Amino acid sequence: MSVPPPATVAPSVVAFHSGRRDLITRGATLALALGLWFAPIPEGLTAQAWHLFAIFASAIFSVIVTAFPLLTAALLAAAAAILTGTLVPAKAFAGFANGSVLLVVVAFLVASSVVKSGLGRRISFLVVSAFGRSTLGLAYSIFLTDAAIAPAFPSNTARSGVLFPIVLSLAQGTGSSPEDEKTRRLGGYLMFCGIASLAVSSALWLTATSVNPIGVEIARQFGLKISFGSWLVAACVPALAAVLLLPSVLYWLYPPGVSATPDAPAAARAALRKMGPLSRDEKVVAVAFVLMVTGWITAGTLKLDLTAVAFGGLGALLATSVLTLDDIAHEGGTLATYLWLAVLFAMSGQLNELGFMSYVGGRLSAALAGVSWPAAYVALLVLYVLMHYLFVSQSSQVLALFGVFVDVGMRAGVPTPLMAFALLFASSYFSAITPQGGSQNVIFVGSGYLTQGELYKLGALTTIFCLLVFLLIGTPWLFLVVH
Amino acid sequence: MPRSWLGVALVLLFSTACSGPTVEPRSAPAPGETRTFEGTWSASGSRQTLDLEPGHRASIFSLSGSLLLTGERGLGVGFQGNVIGFSDSKAGGTGQCVWTDDRGDKVFSQLRGESLGTGSHVTGTITGGTGRYAGLTGEYELHWQYVIETDDGTISGRAVGLKGRVTMPAAGARQ
Repeated sequence: MSVPPPATVAPSVVAFHSGRRDLITRGATLALALGLWFAPIPEGLTAQAWHLFAIFASAIFSVIVTAFPLLTAALLAAAAAILTGTLVPAKAFAGFANGSVLLVVVAFLVASSVVKSGLGRRISFLVVSAFGRSTLGLAYSIFLTDAAIAPAFPSNTARSGVLFPIVLSLAQGTGSSPEDEKTRRLGGYLMFCGIASLAVSSALWLTATSVNPIGVEIARQFGLKISFGSWLVAACVPALAAVLLLPSVLYWLYPPGVSATPDAPAAARAALRKMGPLSRDEKVVAVAFVLMVTGWITAGTLKLDLTAVAFGGLGALLATSVLTLDDIAHEGGTLATYLWLAVLFAMSGQLNELGFMSYVGGRLSAALAGVSWPAAYVALLVLYVLMHYLFVSQSSQVLALFGVFVDVGMRAGVPTPLMAFALLFASSYFSAITPQGGSQNVIFVGSGYLTQGELYKLGALTTIFCLLVFLLIGTPWLFLVVH
Repeated sequence: MPRSWLGVALVLLFSTACSGPTVEPRSAPAPGETRTFEGTWSASGSRQTLDLEPGHRASIFSLSGSLLLTGERGLGVGFQGNVIGFSDSKAGGTGQCVWTDDRGDKVFSQLRGESLGTGSHVTGTITGGTGRYAGLTGEYELHWQYVIETDDGTISGRAVGLKGRVTMPAAGARQ
């Protein structure tokens, strides 16, 4: 079941098989796109919604089967959507001005200052000196740190901007490099731990992501009042079980290559001594980060825009010459991320706006009429999680489908608190299912440590694992505390 | 190629969800025939609000989403519903609504009722249509189960208890 390291074979053989495979997968993508496009339009949907689904589904399919990288698939999809008249340019390009998309991009650039200044290296030595006896220890330090700071961050995208530089520094500190196949897996393991950690820590606390309060507000309309405390009571057992189990499960699914590093803590302490006191750049980055984190934590109270706070931080780092325009010019990967994320974000949003998402959700859930409530409960939860393959925003899915699924669950006889909490928790942990499943993933994806195929496979397996944990541990617990 | 199977399975799942209605749709209403319909409408969009005196707000809004008909499907399986409207917290709301089906045929209606928000009740008057709905008249009502507004001005809502009836004109009607 684990994701194996690539086998070593002759380059000519690899090229032949790779070329043939590309031809097959790209041909299959084209066939799928044309097949869906010319298929009869389902009653109740418009041609525009169906054609956009054909384009979007083909793009995601092409990425899953590795016919194209995300960027290529997104650009081709955007061009197809506009040139066929399926979307007007203003709608297709709307993602480029979206605050969440911009926050990811700016967080990327800010993270580079942590690495460049040496602060990240220092933090990684500190973490390694405490937890670095094993790779698993480092993974647990990521999960536990994230779970501890999560309730203070109303945005998990902002939290990823804090977590990523630390994870990146840890990866680099262990000598892992995305370009070196031998050491890449250790960094890849830590990067996916970051993604998985953000997914489950967001389910643990009501205030760990902006998605949760939206769901709570909708749940209120079904007569369910959820407070910070009642959320924590309901979530603590399944979410903490996931936090405690996931580092080991991921370790098994994606062996990082290096397991025990008994000398690392002593070496890290020695390196820390050698680094000496904080440099001027490290101090500037530290202050900028503290100010940004303060801004993100107090954003709700002070009505601050999260992205504007990040812009201020990046501006300050440029003004103090910690980062230079040359540094920004070399961040080509950030541009690529910006392009694919903005395109997919807008396209998924349009699918929702054209009614496709609620149509599919409504049809799928309506098909469950007449089944027993436990079967309906499991089926609704699984369908809700699977639907996230079509979404590039967690909040969009909650807004589009959460109420529909709770309503159907209630009609099927599922106790409302059970259905609502199960879907609310899923709205957090399903973010790991695809690289684009939550904007907080994107910064880790952009590090280059994990291949596209690994991201999709680990995403699917992690989500299945979380689904099982929340079903098998969470359901009895919910019965005990909220039913 | 397990990932390929995953991709194929997902596309099949979502495509199947869209295929064939669970209840056979009825044909378009015959001239003079009156039919009833009921269903739900999940919609999202945007709202711009102007704060007036304390406790008084006015807003313009635009919503679109899937209108799924259930029970007796006098008008088929569903439509894409679009509405653009004006809402006043004291005076109530008005709007113009277009439902579009899979053939591109449209049903037009005017909305009136309480201001847009959770729990508000709205009535609609069907004023006509295009294609197979040309000359259609009727009325309906709905109830916003919830309307949620996010920080960036986007709104999402779900209307339940959508019930109404339509009548085709006795003469000159088109199928």
